[in-house]
Amino acid sequence: MDPRTIRMTAPCSLRHRALAVRLVAEACRLVRGERSGDDLAAGYDVRDPFDVAVVSAFAEIYNNVALHACAGLVDPQIELAIAATPDGITVEMTDPGRRFDPESVRSPDLDALPEGGMGLHIARAMLDVVDYEPGPPNLWRLSKRRVAAVDPPVVATRTA
Amino acid sequence: MPIDFARADQGDTTNLRIAGTLDVLTAPGLASTIEQIVEERRPKVVVDLSGLDLIDSSGVAALVALYKRVRAVGGQVQVTGARDQPLAIFKLLRMDKVFLL
Repeated sequence: MDPRTIRMTAPCSLRHRALAVRLVAEACRLVRGERSGDDLAAGYDVRDPFDVAVVSAFAEIYNNVALHACAGLVDPQIELAIAATPDGITVEMTDPGRRFDPESVRSPDLDALPEGGMGLHIARAMLDVVDYEPGPPNLWRLSKRRVAAVDPPVVATRTA
Repeated sequence: MPIDFARADQGDTTNLRIAGTLDVLTAPGLASTIEQIVEERRPKVVVDLSGLDLIDSSGVAALVALYKRVRAVGGQVQVTGARDQPLAIFKLLRMDKVFLL
């Protein structure tokens, strides 16, 4: 077990959704080299494009797991394992719920202003990797590389 | 931050300010307000999202429902102030053009 991995076990329910999303949001800050937890009282800080992508995608997958996979189970739990490095983030989420076939989900017709079926589309569009291995337990693996900001080129100036 | 929303009518215009988080947990709380606005056939609805920090597909669905239902009874919907994560989601779903953001 990599000692740098961030782990959390929680009830698989919407009630615990904010806790899981918050953890992922804070892990994104670690990827970007910021200190996590400096301003927790200020609420979410999801403005950086990397954070926007990871948090948005994770929240959608969590919704699907809590609402569909774990529905009807007695005291189901999810397990999160987050690897946050300067190169990016990988979030693995396992659940004991019903299997799911991601290939059965069609891309939404955006021109029709859909009112559903957008979650997996958002996750796939936002991340580099959205993998699913049916279980039990089922495993979602979500990854995004971070493109580091490039320092502006040094421009030599000549003075007369 | 949980959802915080407020409705204020001014003439023909209904201003609906939504702040905080609009997601699978909080979006159902908007349903009765949307229902009232549609029933009253408000001619113009301005949705101010300048205080909205996070949205998910359920929150988007609530706004789309508002948009469709108000227009179905002859009204107009204008969405203003979206920023950061909500704006990124609207652009991804190509709703920025619908909402004229």
